[in-house]
Amino acid sequence: MDRRTFLAGIGAAGVLSLPASAAWAQLKKPVVGLVMKSLANEFFKNMQEGALRHVEERGDCTLIPLGIQSETDIDGQIALVENLITRKVDAIVIAPADSRALISPLVRAAKAGIKLVNIDVLLDANALKKHHVEIVFVGPDNKEGAKMSADVLAKALGAGGKVVILEGNPGAANGVQRKEGFMESIAQYKLDLLDSRTAHWETEEANTVFSNMLTAHPDIQGVMAGNDDMAIGVVKAIEAAGKKGQIKVIGFDGIAAIQPLIKNGEVLATVDQFGAQLAADGIDAAMKEIGGQTLTGWVKTPMKLETAATI
Amino acid sequence: MSSSSSATVRRILREAGIGLALLAMIVFFAAAAPDFSTHENISNILTQITINLILATGMTFAILIGGIDLSVGAVMALCAVVAGRLLTLDGMSEPLAVALGVAGSLAVGMGCGAANGWISSFWGIPSFIVTLGMLNIARGGALQVTNARTIYDFPDSFNAFGTATVLGVPVMFVIALVLLGLGWLVLTRTVFGRMIYAIGNNEEAVRLSGHRPLLTKVLAFTVTGLFVGIAAIVYMARLTIANPILGVGFELNAIAAVIIGGTSLSGGRGSLIGTLLGAAIIGVLANGLILMGVSDFIRQIVTGVVIILAVVLDSYRARLARG
Amino acid sequence: MTQVNEPILRLSGVSKRFPGVLAVDGISLDVAPGEMLALAGENGAGKSSLIRLLAGIHRPDSGEMRLAGQIYAPQTPLDAIRAGVRVVHQEFNLLPALSVAENLLFEHLPRRRLGPIGGIVDRREMDRRAEALLARVGLDEVGPRTPVERLGIAQKQLVEIARALSGDLSSGGRVLVLDEPTATLTPREAGRLFEQIRLLKASGMTMLYVSHHLAEIFALCDRVAVLRNGALVDTMRTADTEPAALVGSMIGRTLATQAPIGGGTPGAPALSVRGLRPRGSPEDGALDFAVREGEIVGLAGLVGAGRTEAVRAIFGADPAIAGTIERDGKPVRIRSPRDAVDAGICLLTENRKEEGLVLPMAARVNTTLARLKLVSRFGWLRPAAERAETRRLAKDLATKITGPEQPVIELSGGNQQKIVLAKWLMGDKARVLMLDEPTRGIDVGAKAEIYALLGQLAQEGRAILVVSSELPELTHLCDRILVLSRGVLAGEVARPDFSEERILSLAYSRYTQAHWQTH
Repeated sequence: MDRRTFLAGIGAAGVLSLPASAAWAQLKKPVVGLVMKSLANEFFKNMQEGALRHVEERGDCTLIPLGIQSETDIDGQIALVENLITRKVDAIVIAPADSRALISPLVRAAKAGIKLVNIDVLLDANALKKHHVEIVFVGPDNKEGAKMSADVLAKALGAGGKVVILEGNPGAANGVQRKEGFMESIAQYKLDLLDSRTAHWETEEANTVFSNMLTAHPDIQGVMAGNDDMAIGVVKAIEAAGKKGQIKVIGFDGIAAIQPLIKNGEVLATVDQFGAQLAADGIDAAMKEIGGQTLTGWVKTPMKLETAATI
Repeated sequence: MSSSSSATVRRILREAGIGLALLAMIVFFAAAAPDFSTHENISNILTQITINLILATGMTFAILIGGIDLSVGAVMALCAVVAGRLLTLDGMSEPLAVALGVAGSLAVGMGCGAANGWISSFWGIPSFIVTLGMLNIARGGALQVTNARTIYDFPDSFNAFGTATVLGVPVMFVIALVLLGLGWLVLTRTVFGRMIYAIGNNEEAVRLSGHRPLLTKVLAFTVTGLFVGIAAIVYMARLTIANPILGVGFELNAIAAVIIGGTSLSGGRGSLIGTLLGAAIIGVLANGLILMGVSDFIRQIVTGVVIILAVVLDSYRARLARG
Repeated sequence: MTQVNEPILRLSGVSKRFPGVLAVDGISLDVAPGEMLALAGENGAGKSSLIRLLAGIHRPDSGEMRLAGQIYAPQTPLDAIRAGVRVVHQEFNLLPALSVAENLLFEHLPRRRLGPIGGIVDRREMDRRAEALLARVGLDEVGPRTPVERLGIAQKQLVEIARALSGDLSSGGRVLVLDEPTATLTPREAGRLFEQIRLLKASGMTMLYVSHHLAEIFALCDRVAVLRNGALVDTMRTADTEPAALVGSMIGRTLATQAPIGGGTPGAPALSVRGLRPRGSPEDGALDFAVREGEIVGLAGLVGAGRTEAVRAIFGADPAIAGTIERDGKPVRIRSPRDAVDAGICLLTENRKEEGLVLPMAARVNTTLARLKLVSRFGWLRPAAERAETRRLAKDLATKITGPEQPVIELSGGNQQKIVLAKWLMGDKARVLMLDEPTRGIDVGAKAEIYALLGQLAQEGRAILVVSSELPELTHLCDRILVLSRGVLAGEVARPDFSEERILSLAYSRYTQAHWQTH
């Protein structure tokens, strides 16, 4: 008997010593691993809590929620996937930290017979094709959402409105897609884009970067921020410059701290992607796959435009 | 010329070198970016360097005594969320909430600083490692306290202070400057300051002169922590939020300001005047490059080059001064 | 002149100015091949500065140096080594964490030719060469793989010399400069060194020799160049002169014959040591002795006999295994130097640069370092009081400083030592003064001043304990001498019985005993 079967034997003995019914229930329930990005981010924290609530309601599966230290900890996320493969889970629902780097461990998971669901950020389609793997994507359309939010601004300003963009982390897929959405809106409504810079998703940096943009371009009329944290920093910079009410701002994510700013008109709009719902939808998709269905393509999840009128 | 005045001249030269670099940078940007020298922009720069200036002032204490504090960014987040919780407690009068919030932030900052100082000095562990541990503890603590949520809705009087000005100068910057002045007095005019420089140069000689370096070291790190607590309050007043992931990487900016300011990383040499100039160089550079329309990536490269250049220049000047 | 060769080293009008002082003042000097030339002069006379120019550490402001006829202008110490000028400095340049062998052969580690990456260090070959070098300085008791940090100071000094010799094996050293090589050595070790120096001289090596020990100069050197205030004032052949004349030339006046110093009338015991076992002391090494007010007591012994360990344990610098300390008959608990300072006990350590001073900082900072309470109020310094105290003490001790703001790193060894003394004497709190090798690396003039000062301090009623490796220093200075041998108090000699034989036989007593026991 080699060491691995020996250990498996001990494990089995342990399981058998449990009361039989409980053990069976435990064994029968499929296990779903939920791999998220940084749990330090409010969006993913919401997602995790929503997922746990949803699984409790469903009652027919066990959830292993996992997160990484920071948004850019790609290595850490790969390790999480590998751990889940070792633990022989039935399905993995993943919000990839990088649209390419995660493909190779996911391909390994697929080969190990694990069902896969991609949420939040779309994995690179070409790379997947190369490995002859298809993974269903359940998620919002960041680009479309960004455009929805930006359109509110564009309509308020009218053609020729002078705007700037605050981008997320350079290279982050959702950041890139949101910027694309902003750009589409700018093209459609013939806005005048004065400058576009990253503030790395951060409030303080957005505050600093935007005040400097405002000095360089005192005629800015509107700001498109890649997330709500940056939008808050922009609002504070506008206040500090004494231009409250003269410059319009839109954000993305719909975090709680942005609500009062929308209410008092300092932020025109944001888009709620329902982070909590997103993971729940992913888990539903995974359970369908475990049940034998084959899902492909993009299952779009709802987004909601938040403005003063909707709050 | 007596040596005492020649030493003073050399010291002035050393700091003047950084001052000249700053001046050259200002002249350059004023010529290259027309909006640079407007009153509004200068006020912006002062606001923008305030937090880094406060953190770097505290950091100067840790570096002068021969240590370093990598935890300031994370501890600042912990201070901010604790203060945020206290500020938004239900059923409290506004002044009481503000007082409680400020006190909470300062207490958390000093507590973390004292822990850094005590653990590293008592067990003789490099502060680099201890504060790296504290970085994770504080960041995790901040996330735990808030459950990763952003705290907002602070009292109006608290938020108003963030944008207040006096004679056109941001109040927060004035406060930072006063704090820097106090720090300068402490370092140059008190027994505590004397001990910091002496320990930074030769801890064993200080011990064998009948002192307990441990106490001074713990106190120096506590001062660093105190300044972190103050920076957290300034951050919150300026942005009216406190979130647990704020301040990532702030420690590196603070260290850069201290080093550009001519303070030796091995301790014992340097001054807060240099730190002020160092923070100003970083702030002016970030502002000026954006006004010139330089792209984000090039801006990052230029900032890195300037940091290295400043340190090279400093070591060159030090060599000249030594003869 | 029998010397027909052109000089191997020729200095013409070499000058070097440091802030506030002209350290080398237009020196012109020829050194013949194979000659052994002593550089003599008081503290701050310019010997060390001159050596630093030769070693490529500093560059002269004016003048020219020639080596074997070629212009010699080293820009870095490496240039000097390449040109064949090897300097053994007073300060050690050893890497403490590395082994003796690695330090010795640092510049040319033997490599095994067939290593997988072609450059594996051949440890066996390295050990062999290191052992050979160690043997040349008579250091056979040290293994080549011992980390340098575990060696005593004297051993480090010998390793440093051995390292300079390693250069002559491969890079063809032409001039060897020895800066105070015996300052830290016991007579036995010095004797070994002299043998090596004589062998090197016989092999034709040119040497510059700096020492405060006039006897060494007369025993070893052909000629002596006397420096005063940076300038060359005289050169003389040792065969044609005598010590008194040399000293006269060095200090520019004739020294009165040395009367013994000694203390005043001894009073009550100021410091009593009972059953003290310093770190590393043997089982039976408990020390019991007392130093009375107004008394100067010497602590003699070979290097490694436990003298430094004893005074450091009394001072609380290192924890002791056992023992009690009494001050004025009352037991005091000393767990740190702070406790000792509070009890009026102070220690001048043997390494003033590493442990006594904050070198880059001002004279003012160093002078007041132990007595900051006297120049501060509620934690705020009083700079005017600091400067006044510093000036006063500098005047009292005749310390040559340009002002209270001068960094002590710019001072000569003797003046640095006076700053350390000033640190302890400030405020008149020090009642028990312990001095570990107080005159190491200090010239004759400053030595005499320090001796006189110690005599005066004893007269004023202070208890003084002096550790020294120089027996003449102890016999000149002390009322009685305690002799340690292998960590054990081997005996005590009172002034009437002072003799080198008596003290040395006590110092060696435990070593010969051990010899009997092991064989």
